[in-house]
Amino acid sequence: MKSARYLFGAVRAKSMEYYTWLLFIGIYLATGLFVPTLFIPATFLNVLVQGTTVGLLSIGMAFVMLVGEIDLSVVAVASFAPMAGILAWEIGLPVPAAILLTLLVGVGVGLFNGLLITKLRIPSLVQTCAMWWMLAGIVLVATRGMAKAGLPNSWMQLGRVFIGPIPLLVFFFIIVVSAAVIFARRTVTGRRLYLVGGNSEACSAMGIPVDRIRIIAFMTSGLFSALAGYALSARMGFVSARFAVEWLMPAIAAPVIAGLSLTGGRGNLINVVAGAYLVQLIVIVVRAGGVSGYSYEFVQGLLVFIAILVDTVRRRVTGL
Amino acid sequence: MAGSGPMLEVKNISKNFGKVRALRSMSFELEKGKILGLVGDNGAGKSTLLKILSGDLQPSAGQIYLESKATRFKSPADAMKKGIAIAYQFLELVDIAKVWENFFMGRELTKRIGPLAFLDVQRMKYLTAEAIAKYGHTFDIEREVRELSGEQRQIIAVTRAIEANPEILLLDESFTLLSLDGRKDIVNFLGEVNKKIGITMIIVSHDLELIKTLSHYIMVLRAGEKMFFGHTDKISIDQIVKYMLP
Ligand SMILES: Nc1ncnc2c1ncn2[C@@H]1O[C@H](COP(=O)(O)OP(=O)(O)OP(=O)(O)O)[C@@H](O)[C@H]1O
Ligand SMILES: [Mg+2]
Repeated sequence: MKSARYLFGAVRAKSMEYYTWLLFIGIYLATGLFVPTLFIPATFLNVLVQGTTVGLLSIGMAFVMLVGEIDLSVVAVASFAPMAGILAWEIGLPVPAAILLTLLVGVGVGLFNGLLITKLRIPSLVQTCAMWWMLAGIVLVATRGMAKAGLPNSWMQLGRVFIGPIPLLVFFFIIVVSAAVIFARRTVTGRRLYLVGGNSEACSAMGIPVDRIRIIAFMTSGLFSALAGYALSARMGFVSARFAVEWLMPAIAAPVIAGLSLTGGRGNLINVVAGAYLVQLIVIVVRAGGVSGYSYEFVQGLLVFIAILVDTVRRRVTGL
Repeated sequence: MAGSGPMLEVKNISKNFGKVRALRSMSFELEKGKILGLVGDNGAGKSTLLKILSGDLQPSAGQIYLESKATRFKSPADAMKKGIAIAYQFLELVDIAKVWENFFMGRELTKRIGPLAFLDVQRMKYLTAEAIAKYGHTFDIEREVRELSGEQRQIIAVTRAIEANPEILLLDESFTLLSLDGRKDIVNFLGEVNKKIGITMIIVSHDLELIKTLSHYIMVLRAGEKMFFGHTDKISIDQIVKYMLP
């Protein structure tokens, strides 16, 4: 009897740990009753594939949220980085090198953000907002405001190839996210992200290089934004100045829904994936419901509002 | 290295915070394996001195020698590498992190898998539980530090400094939150550790009885100045108090 109760308690504790997944699955099944197409395998795969963009952006965002910061430049990096890769390809760089360059540009922007935020003490909200507009501006100038199509075939493989019935992009997403989860959970630097978010003064007193950890958080965010941009361009077949911009609000909402504290130090990246899919699901359902472009903007705002509400309530309940 | 002069020498160290002169040209030496009791009224500069020795603050002037070698502690990490460990007066714990994470913060244990280093979580948990048990305490190392009592929090701060196996151990008011028994246990333990391993220690406390029983030397500070430094036998508690007060 006692052991049964213990087992129940343990199961409940575990399932609460991943409650975002329960939430996602529950809401998926519930909305499926009204939007039956959700139960068609092709639709499900479509959700999986479309969710990779906001998923990658949210994971990147989660890293900076862990240290108590925010990165508004993620969507700009997602267009700037692949744009840089494609322009380099156009002047002769081979595709694999161009992809590598794309990722390096993302990391570089993160490094730049991180350095300014830690060394000059510019608030991350301000710094990354400025970076967002700067990068978006550069892309607009470089493309004269046009979408850049005609990407090389090998660049687009990631978005076109299937392994059996499953798109390659889904596997790519799983691998990249697993790496992020292992990094956050199992490495010294990953753990230190949480500690720095929890109490940076205690960390520096105990010999943890706090600035370096914060900079690494921004570099990781840059990397994942570049990955998101690369994956999106491979799927869409073009890059443009604004092609990821609609995902900024969802990328902020997803980690918060997943239980990452806005003040840092807390949260499970596996849940962030569920949060991202939840957000993606809402967007798909809203679109399927035929909501116009204008009210779509409203839905984005609503998402963030709900996320913050969830965060506040959770903090009230758990006393954090 | 042995016999090459004092373990620690502090020479003309000053520290100013704007107009506040927290330390005024302070000098003293401490031999290896000795315990120095550091006393003084509030604001005398005790914590400032320890923070300089642990790399958390930089002196405004002066020089530090470790085993006769001129040394600068550029950061807490640097001081740690040079064999210094400190339990801070205000503990410096991450409240929302678990006991074992706090215990190993800044000196995490890893194991290699191929070219990569991963946290050795199992070992850190095991060693944390073991260390805490050694000091006569039992509490769940999976709990977040904010859920613990003041005594338990202080035990974490003190034991993680001792268990870092330093050459020089700095304890800043590390017994204030302990029960009488807890205090006795840890004082006995420190005495033993000092005899057995010969760790050099600087202990700050307002508990003059404790300072008298534990230390080989006593140093009294007043408003950033050294008022007394000498053998414990050479000074009574009354005299200490006289030196402390203006
Ligand atoms: N970071 C700081 N900025 C400004 N002034 C400081 C700072 N740290 C300490 N001081 C000042 O330096 C002086 C010495 O402080 P310190 O903390 O070293 O005293 P203490 O002997 O440890 O006192 P207590 O017994 O209260 O712990 C005090 O006047 C204090 O106000
Ligand atoms: Mg003090």
